[in-house]
Amino acid sequence: MRGIYTPVVQIRRQIFKKVAQIAFSGEFDRVDQLPYEIIKGEVASYRESVFKERAIVAERIRLACGLNLRSAGEHAPISKDFGKAITTERVFELPLVNVIPFACNSCETTCYEVSDNCQGCLAHPCSSVCPVKAVSIVNGKSVIDKEKCLKCGRCADTCPYHAIIKRERPCAAACGVGAIESDELGRAKINYDKCVSCGQCLVACPFAAIADKSQILQLILALKSDKKVIAEVAPAFVGQFGPLATPAKVKAALLALGFADVREVAVGADDVSVSEAEEFLERVPEELPFLATSCCPSWSVFAKSILGEELSKCVSMSLTPMVATARKIKEEDPNVRVCFIGPCASKKLEAFRRTVRSDVDYVITYEELMGILAAKDIDFTEEAEMNPDEAASSTGRNYAVSGGVAAAVVSCIKRTHPDKTVLIDRAEGLANCKKMLMLAKAGKRNGYLIEGMACTGGCVGGAGTIQAPVKSAALVKKFAEESPYENRFDKEQK
Amino acid sequence: MKRLDVNVCVCTQCVMNGALEIAESVKSLQKLKNQLRFDTSVRVNATEKLCDGTCKDASPLVVVGGEPIEKATSDAVMAKIISKIAKG
Repeated sequence: MRGIYTPVVQIRRQIFKKVAQIAFSGEFDRVDQLPYEIIKGEVASYRESVFKERAIVAERIRLACGLNLRSAGEHAPISKDFGKAITTERVFELPLVNVIPFACNSCETTCYEVSDNCQGCLAHPCSSVCPVKAVSIVNGKSVIDKEKCLKCGRCADTCPYHAIIKRERPCAAACGVGAIESDELGRAKINYDKCVSCGQCLVACPFAAIADKSQILQLILALKSDKKVIAEVAPAFVGQFGPLATPAKVKAALLALGFADVREVAVGADDVSVSEAEEFLERVPEELPFLATSCCPSWSVFAKSILGEELSKCVSMSLTPMVATARKIKEEDPNVRVCFIGPCASKKLEAFRRTVRSDVDYVITYEELMGILAAKDIDFTEEAEMNPDEAASSTGRNYAVSGGVAAAVVSCIKRTHPDKTVLIDRAEGLANCKKMLMLAKAGKRNGYLIEGMACTGGCVGGAGTIQAPVKSAALVKKFAEESPYENRFDKEQK
Repeated sequence: MKRLDVNVCVCTQCVMNGALEIAESVKSLQKLKNQLRFDTSVRVNATEKLCDGTCKDASPLVVVGGEPIEKATSDAVMAKIISKIAKG
């Protein structure tokens, strides 16, 4: 569904815009009215009742304000506890990603079904390949006994008419860590012991039943206050806001919104590349069998859980680009607030992790930012001056695309050790990452630098992006090529 | 070969309301030119403030061969393009 403007996307963006509007106007008592502004009229468009449509929107509004879901079993207005959200401080509590139970379609868990396309053919290879005799021919058509079925998919693979289909829950199919389970009513339920908050389930759910919490409200209140807020923009931003939104125009739009300054997170990425290069040279293979990159928090958490206590040391200790950039900003002025603007949900969690001080006060996604800009009616027309001294390197900017992190680290290694051969393995999507980690755990990636990205395509495929990942990747690479530096060493020389 | 210009407004309101997705769907029509028997080249232009500041009510705004479509959707724009090409 990525790259297609569906009613799910429409509603999500409307909510961001409406929440931003009340934050700017200060008309907080309007919050109970917002579902009626988003779902208009008396007739339901997509569900059995307009009341249910509005109730779901109401829960999504609460999440967008950073509040918890309400129980469907208790009487409470949308504005319940709303006073807590009207602050410039962080309000949201875990869990970050939430299933709205009554919005869930209770889709059947993975199964194989015979469709009307079955021709009842003479060959019927579907039954021949089934190892547990789950496929039989009844009245000239194939029938699958779901009790016996192993869900191996052999019957589907062999059917000459593609008549056997795999039915999957979209949220579960998108989840690479198997965190989607079911509650007693068959509705999706997230196992938070497994969930790494990548957010892929929320973009995959066609019923808009999953959403993450946001800081739109608190950020806008900070921008309106006398607090100085600096935006740090993750490298996947290029092209997210349309073809005319050049980096200079994005900067101008953010300044118009009230940010005091705008920085590239890719500058922090340049520092991380050097740090991970040093870590690799110092510790692999003598101390560590391999080194895993650390910039994607979902990947990093997942990798540690798969590798176990002993091998979890192989995940780089370097700061992530988000944190490295925020630290630089706060070293210059400890009184400023830092807002990370990026492509994914998991950065929201990373920012509030207690084990590593993040120095990041707010995290919003590109899609949330678009809602804020639309609420304020800011277009990408003006161009801000870009300071070449603040420009990131090409390899730092390429962090946003799968393979970019490892390439940046290798670029730094080659600068100090030109003859060093660095073996690389990389994976994108957590299911693929798991396969790579299992190989590493089995000792088959010793001496390697391994890069994992939770989202397909890398950060450009994050849950909070607007632009289609393939197009975004091409635009990021183009912007990277415009940098006068390959890595931080080049920048230091100049 | 004839040419049909499709202008897609890419102001903030229009992008938020799906302008980028519409532009991509129009580009994807080129891949169907054999099935659709296209004898016309479709050119997609991203235009700033095509709406002249009225996009709040009309977004996303798309103009197909000079004909504006307010609150455009991918399917409506593709259908309009195919109909314009069929009429020649």
